[in-house]
Amino acid sequence: MQQNNKTQLQLGFVPLTDSAPLVMAKELGFFQDEGLDVVLRKQNSWATLRDKLQVGILDGAQMLAPMPLASQLGLGGNHASIITPFILSFNGNAITLSEALCREVCQLHGMPLNSLPLPLPASLLKAVIDERLHQGRPLLKFATVFAYSSHYYQLRQWFSDADIELGTDVEVQVLPPTSMVAALHEGVVDGYCVGGPWNAKAVRTGLGMTAVSSCDIWPDQPEKVLGITESWQQANPDTTVALIKALRRACDWLEVVPNRFEAARILSSVTYLNADLDVVAPALLGSCLVHHRLDPRTIPAYNRFSSAGQGGDNNPDPAYARFLLNQMVEAGHIQLSQYQQLDSEQVFRADIYAQALQQVQTAVL
Amino acid sequence: MSGAPTVADKALEILLIDDDLDRAAAFSSALDSSRYHVSHLVSSRTSLLKEVDQLKPDIIVIDIESPDRDILESLSTLSSFNPKPVVMFCEQDDSQLINQSVQSGVSAYVVGDVPGGRVRSILDAAVARFQQYQTLKQELNETKNKLESRRVIEKAKALLMNKKNMSEAKAFNTMRKMAMDSGQKMEQVAANILSILTTLDAQD
Repeated sequence: MQQNNKTQLQLGFVPLTDSAPLVMAKELGFFQDEGLDVVLRKQNSWATLRDKLQVGILDGAQMLAPMPLASQLGLGGNHASIITPFILSFNGNAITLSEALCREVCQLHGMPLNSLPLPLPASLLKAVIDERLHQGRPLLKFATVFAYSSHYYQLRQWFSDADIELGTDVEVQVLPPTSMVAALHEGVVDGYCVGGPWNAKAVRTGLGMTAVSSCDIWPDQPEKVLGITESWQQANPDTTVALIKALRRACDWLEVVPNRFEAARILSSVTYLNADLDVVAPALLGSCLVHHRLDPRTIPAYNRFSSAGQGGDNNPDPAYARFLLNQMVEAGHIQLSQYQQLDSEQVFRADIYAQALQQVQTAVL
Repeated sequence: MSGAPTVADKALEILLIDDDLDRAAAFSSALDSSRYHVSHLVSSRTSLLKEVDQLKPDIIVIDIESPDRDILESLSTLSSFNPKPVVMFCEQDDSQLINQSVQSGVSAYVVGDVPGGRVRSILDAAVARFQQYQTLKQELNETKNKLESRRVIEKAKALLMNKKNMSEAKAFNTMRKMAMDSGQKMEQVAANILSILTTLDAQD
């Protein structure tokens, strides 16, 4: 490592199940093996995490996959050249409906709970929405964690497949993940799209039903990415490679299912998620809790930490960026011209990832 | 920096989101007998949007570490709320962060413990800066709209020249006359011409 590269790093993470690669790289000493002294900093808000990264209070951070693109486009804050050289996770989100809404769906269609089709098609909600409109009752309210998030686009996609428009037929608002279950309990929202452990938490406490997972909506799209600023990468090229190597090892380690339970134990601790093992572990083991009176669904890819297929990797393929930009256009968050002007390859940096991997292979030879 | 006179005389409603009760109390008492009125909330209240809707605060003051910051950020992206000046509390002294935040949606940035006497001037400056920023944004939007309306007029003119074999001057004068006769803006007339001619075209 060159003299001028930083080795003492502050990395931001949000206490969610898919922070596993950062947590395990730290706990298993993978960062240390690469000569890095990493402190993980828990963040409460995506906007604050982004701002701290932009100004260098954080060296790197776990980000929602659309966030580097949103920063490059100057959405909801400053324009900043945030790039990603590494995909941290795929899938992992789900949509949970309140008990009351579930009952409404069952009653209207004359179906008992255990005969509802899973994943639940949003068309079954269409009848509820029409009925409520007819009775002059308020619109259904849903929450997601951030405007520029896969969660928002997945929720929009699920509804729009049933000709339900987010914002028009269904209200949508932002809530922090930690407030979701309380909001469901208080009836502030009728459902939400969130990552783990917050879907499992609602099911365990008997407050809701997880109707559909993000794998059912978009299989194998990136969910969280490692975000760094372009200037930081230019100043610390060797550290960037070392980070990629350590995280790659963590993602490889997480591929082994028995290791997943060990990861769940560590993630549950006060230092990280501060949540019960029985809400953290299921998703990591491919179990999607559905309802307290129903069996869980088997979804092996519920949380993935490398891409699907043989020898999965964490390559930030610019095709992923284009997919997300397309979603942003369809949601009306950006104009088509903004999409066309942004060079995806400058944000999703497959070139840096390839360079790091080459070093790993050379070391093996 | 001083606010516009119209604002300086008006009572202003502040929504303060802070879990640190001592700091919140100090903040509120620093604003006693001023034009500011403070309503305090602790963070992670699921009903924050409703509170903002009912209270209609002129300024929101929040701890930068509050999970509710993402809700505030969504006010301008997802909801129909008008943007509001936001002032952030931060324990960390980092002047770079201060400067950067001030350029974005955040109007002011308060580091560490603020002496009571300074709270008012910080808020005054935040309101003034926010108004400047909004004015700038509005001007930018108007420029954009002007460009857009010019584009529509040019397009309609070209269509008239093309479909109706008019000269450029004749096409322009035709649209101007239609605008005067109907009491509409040129842009509206141009948009109507575009939609009629392209619809007819599609049916041919």
